Amino acid sequence: MSVGMILLLVAALLVIFGLGQRVLDRMRLSDRGALIAMAAIFIGGLIPDITLGPVRFNIGGALVPVLICIYVLARADSPGDFWRGIIGAVITAGAIYALDHFLPSEPEAIVFDPNYIYGIAAGIIAYILGRSRRGAFISAVLGLTLCDLFIGIMNRVRGVNQIIEIGTGGMLDAIVISGIIAVLLAELVGETIERIARGRGRQEVEDGAVRDGRRAK
Amino acid sequence: MIKRVAILLLCCLTFVLAPSRALGEDDDWNDIGDNYYTVKLESGEALFTVGAAVYVDDQYISGDNKRYVVTQVDAENYTATARYDSDEEMPAIDWLKPAFAPVSSDTSGGSGDRLIAIYATHTDESYVPSDGTSSEDDGGGILDVADALKSAFEKQGVTAVIDTTSHLPHDSGAYRRSRQTAVSLMKKMPDALIDVHRDGIPSAEEYLTEVEGVDTTQVRLLVGRSNQNSEANKEFAKSIKAVADEQYPGLIKDIFIGKGTYNQDLTPNAILLEFGTHTTSKERAIKATDMIATSMTSVLYGSGAADGVGSNTGSKAAVQSGNSGVGKGILFLVIFVVVAALAYAFLATGSGKGMMEKLKRNTSELTGGLLGKKPDNDRGGDES
Repeated sequence: MSVGMILLLVAALLVIFGLGQRVLDRMRLSDRGALIAMAAIFIGGLIPDITLGPVRFNIGGALVPVLICIYVLARADSPGDFWRGIIGAVITAGAIYALDHFLPSEPEAIVFDPNYIYGIAAGIIAYILGRSRRGAFISAVLGLTLCDLFIGIMNRVRGVNQIIEIGTGGMLDAIVISGIIAVLLAELVGETIERIARGRGRQEVEDGAVRDGRRAK
Repeated sequence: MIKRVAILLLCCLTFVLAPSRALGEDDDWNDIGDNYYTVKLESGEALFTVGAAVYVDDQYISGDNKRYVVTQVDAENYTATARYDSDEEMPAIDWLKPAFAPVSSDTSGGSGDRLIAIYATHTDESYVPSDGTSSEDDGGGILDVADALKSAFEKQGVTAVIDTTSHLPHDSGAYRRSRQTAVSLMKKMPDALIDVHRDGIPSAEEYLTEVEGVDTTQVRLLVGRSNQNSEANKEFAKSIKAVADEQYPGLIKDIFIGKGTYNQDLTPNAILLEFGTHTTSKERAIKATDMIATSMTSVLYGSGAADGVGSNTGSKAAVQSGNSGVGKGILFLVIFVVVAALAYAFLATGSGKGMMEKLKRNTSELTGGLLGKKPDNDRGGDES
């Protein structure tokens, strides 16, 4: 592998790392906590996978993101937020299952990369349910995990003896990528709608945060 | 909230329970069913057929290195019109020895520092004339082709690792599952990552050919354009085609520039190879593996790499060619990050001053206070 190729790979990883840190920052984690969580996803991705019966999972690609979801759900402001997270994950799992089947599978036929579309689906579903960045992350991570478990069970029912892999792509797995895309989409849509609703007349900016918006303290 | 949940659930159920082939395991399901598009030139001459929907602005590099762009699509009749765009500039291959290295008979194993990784996203793909079906859940004929490709590389003195992990069902989610296999292979730091497929068009004639007296199938090279490596991937594909055109004229059918990623974001030297279609025989497809392995070995390790006497000139040329794509990839990433950050910050604050303040704040948070402006008070956790 040439130096240029390694540089490109490192640059791509840094972009994912940076975006991931910004996303985890919205998960009730401090700046440092978000950095540590992202580092755990990166390092955990390099640790060999764990196999439990027919399921194989990765620490960075599955365990850490799922633990973050559990942490966010446990600290939900209200039972409504908690159930919005759970319902969003279940609906996203169904949506991903449907998308898997309805999107073209042949490489020439693909019009939008499937690995990007899961996060978009999760972001939209979470936003419709509760205009929530945290909900978007939970929908994407738990939705994909549930969907992969369901597909694994369906394979077994069909007699296909295939190991169920959850997040074994580590930091580059669809679970992590989708979680990031979902939050960024919810953030983008949220900021746009809030900006339109707020209008320019009422803006007050201090240190980059909007003082009179719903995001300000 | 109950109303929203009900609507979302209804949408999902409509998708999942729709009376279609969605729940089936049919191999060649795609958005146009069993049909396929014929893409023609404005003169009416057929250019190629493809078992997928075609869209305006789709690009295609033909076997004779001409770039075509789709200008019109007739969805009712499954036809499209393409116009000639330009001659594709192919990489110089003057480093290639006139009499390139013949395939070695040594099958004792490869070189430790030359590594190729092979996998198949659609492990069920099969060849009807040889396997009796187009899809086999327990591992289709495509795995035999992948195995033959591994052996072909080893004949060239290159170590090849193959991962035959199944990614069923055969749907678009297979790329999500094969990504895990690809990432696992990438941990071995291979020089190239190959995803082996076969096409799904019904016409075998599209792929049947004779190269140097050998009846074989042509090979389609497929690269994606939805990732930061797309330019480097394309340069790699063009290098393979340029060398193969010299060594085995007619072996490479074309370069298809698809809209997906195909896990090619994992390395600039990733390629998707399609050996024939489901109506060609597997044996013919296997015959193409020796040739493509020879050409790829030349691209990656230089002319005469198989017998150990060649220089690494080809390798250097390929690296230089690839580096131009890598440079574009890094530039793409930098532009993407800067534009996205600026757009987001402006959207969130609505003013130039606010945008700069937000960027400083985010930079500080991202770097743990090393760079940017440290926020006066931590507002983490104040968003829903």
